[in-house]
Amino acid sequence: MTGFDFSNYNRNAALHAKGVPLPKATSTGTTIVGCIYDNGVVIAADTRATSGPIVADKNCEKLHYIAPKIWCAGAGTAADTEFTTALISSNIELHALSTGRPPRVITCMTMLKQHLFRYQGHIGAYLVVAGVDPTGIGLFTVHAHGSTDKLPYVTMGSGSLAAMSVFESMWKPNLDRDGAVALCAEAIKAGIFNDLGSGSNVDVCVIEKDKPTQLLRNYIKPNERGEKERNYRFPRGTTAYLNQKIISKEDMRKYVSVEEASGDPNLMEVDM
Amino acid sequence: MTTLSGQPLSEAIGYSFSNANSAPHREHSFYPYTDNGGSTLGITGSDFAILAGDTRSVAGYNINSRYVPKVFKIGGDDETGDGAHIVLSVVGFAADGQALKERLDAVVKMYKYQHGKPMSVRACAQRLSTILYQKRFFPYYVHAILAGLDEEGKGALYSYDPVGSYEREQCRAAGSAASLIMPFLDNQVNFKNQYIPGSGEGHALEPKKAEPLPRETVERLVRDAFTSAVERHIEVGDGLQMMVITRSGVEEIYYPLKKD
Amino acid sequence: MVGHGMTGMLGEDGIHVDMNHLKKGEVNLGTSIMAINFQGGVILGADSRTTTGAYIANRVTDKLTQVHDTIWCCRSGSAADTQAVADIVSYHLNMYSIVNNEAPSTQVAAALFQELCYENKDMLSAGIIIAGYDPKHGGQVYSIPLGGSLHKQPYSIGGSGSTYIYGYCDTHWRENMTEQEGIDFVRGALSEAIKWDGSSGGVIRLVVLTSQGAQRHLYLPDTGYTGPGVTN
Repeated sequence: MTGFDFSNYNRNAALHAKGVPLPKATSTGTTIVGCIYDNGVVIAADTRATSGPIVADKNCEKLHYIAPKIWCAGAGTAADTEFTTALISSNIELHALSTGRPPRVITCMTMLKQHLFRYQGHIGAYLVVAGVDPTGIGLFTVHAHGSTDKLPYVTMGSGSLAAMSVFESMWKPNLDRDGAVALCAEAIKAGIFNDLGSGSNVDVCVIEKDKPTQLLRNYIKPNERGEKERNYRFPRGTTAYLNQKIISKEDMRKYVSVEEASGDPNLMEVDM
Repeated sequence: MTTLSGQPLSEAIGYSFSNANSAPHREHSFYPYTDNGGSTLGITGSDFAILAGDTRSVAGYNINSRYVPKVFKIGGDDETGDGAHIVLSVVGFAADGQALKERLDAVVKMYKYQHGKPMSVRACAQRLSTILYQKRFFPYYVHAILAGLDEEGKGALYSYDPVGSYEREQCRAAGSAASLIMPFLDNQVNFKNQYIPGSGEGHALEPKKAEPLPRETVERLVRDAFTSAVERHIEVGDGLQMMVITRSGVEEIYYPLKKD
Repeated sequence: MVGHGMTGMLGEDGIHVDMNHLKKGEVNLGTSIMAINFQGGVILGADSRTTTGAYIANRVTDKLTQVHDTIWCCRSGSAADTQAVADIVSYHLNMYSIVNNEAPSTQVAAALFQELCYENKDMLSAGIIIAGYDPKHGGQVYSIPLGGSLHKQPYSIGGSGSTYIYGYCDTHWRENMTEQEGIDFVRGALSEAIKWDGSSGGVIRLVVLTSQGAQRHLYLPDTGYTGPGVTN
């Protein structure tokens, strides 16, 4: 860990004391779950990222790569989950190279908890760690303060209560792959529809013994956007301007290489 | 720097005898308001007015209900709302909204009993302002919009702040997604920032004139406004309730929205 | 206040540090834990509830943590803090047994726990009970409450649920109980603590430490905490 830059600490503390609010971090008010089954482990997540009550990203990725057979689902502050998993992923790869062995889930979990404990909860990463290693199948939760739990099925994030209600009523021992995937997807759907912090699609990751990991991006899309009833394309010249300057492709070629794009050049994508 | 006063520097080490053994003062008070989220929207035409609102009620990250109306017929039959010619929408604190609607409903009914004629929208609008201002120091925590037809039969829309300041407008969005919907309305109803192509150069460019829109267009605009708000605001969703006020009465339309 | 580092209150009688704070959203072991001495060794017991506010984050938690072959601890307070402390102690005891080619005594383990809890008292919310068996001293029970003091006791109870069972333990405690009597005592006390304390619940886990090593027990609420008993 190279460490954080605290050079603006005093300035920000002074600003904050004078009533300037802290910048709003993109929080993944989230539903993430995990569930082990006879031959592997499944983790799943919704795809909504929020900033206060506004949806910041309708289809973000909350399933993070750690190692080929260890994956992480992240809730909490988006930046913290991304950087923390990227850091541990990097260290795990170096560790695997130096030991010459495939990395273990418990190693990854320990590195995460020690990193998060050092920062006393200021790194707001809430993670579900899952994977398969030579010792067997692993599934853990790691809280931002550094505590960990080991359970056969887990949920985290603002939708964790909705998701856990699905597990507590439908989970049974000795699930098979399809059963575990279906159960996890159902738990995420409970979060999507009953928790405002969660929404859009279901991402699933299946990590199985003796098989490559399968990342099922947008495994279920229960919230497709409806058709707009009106057309919002403006006639050319609708927007006012005071002056114009046209830079030709020939001019641009002096500085960068220009390639012809296919399709009608007069059409611009309108996303409404 | 020397200080002679007894008060130690607050920037010094944070130990002090003056507030020994005392936890920082915490104020306990009863806060009777909740924000139940959601959004409402009203647009008028030449011979009609439309008031719409989503039907989701929230508390924090939880959904209280997927169907709690925010738009009400005022002065009609208690059960069916039949005979009403005024519509009120309330967004903000649902309990206050409910109370306000009951108050106004009673007022409009009493007016008819006492005067033997229905209350005009203009009179009702003024009365609503008074009701809101009466609670100036314990306000109804709502953003209200009142709609009907004026004396000439034209669509009339009045929007209010929580303490009774009001104004007649062509269109208005209120509630949590108002900041998302209002700019869309400015552009699509009043044609703000739209100019007639080729009508001039620079400042001479002629702005596109706003004129009353037909009912079909307005209904589509309202639905598009809400389906878009649902995409980007977490408190808006589940269902869209639309009230269309015309000369022949009030028509209610329900339209499902995304539930995530 | 923008002051640096040291904040706290000075009372007329000395420094008061509020250690009972838990940071917002922190995972809490609102707990019932205990450990007792009996004829052949020690018994540790705990409920299995972990909470974040009103939500039960884990209903089958294992709060009985092994730090060496026959030295275990019961954790209460912050889950993160107690796990970190136990991990560090576990590491040191492992090193100790390698360097000295001899298992550490329970006292050594307890002293290590105390060192960490006392020196970092302003940063930790950890109430730990250490119990172990070593051939020289037999079974021993140590308790480290919030401030970081160390107490050797015949038996010890801890966590939020313990307040409900001081009376029970006082009337039912006897020196030199048999293993079965000891198990019944711990099980009886913890089921009372679980009954009355809202922050405690789930299953009852026991660990019996004797010259024969460690033996785990599990008692489920669906059988009124009567079984299944030994699980390994």
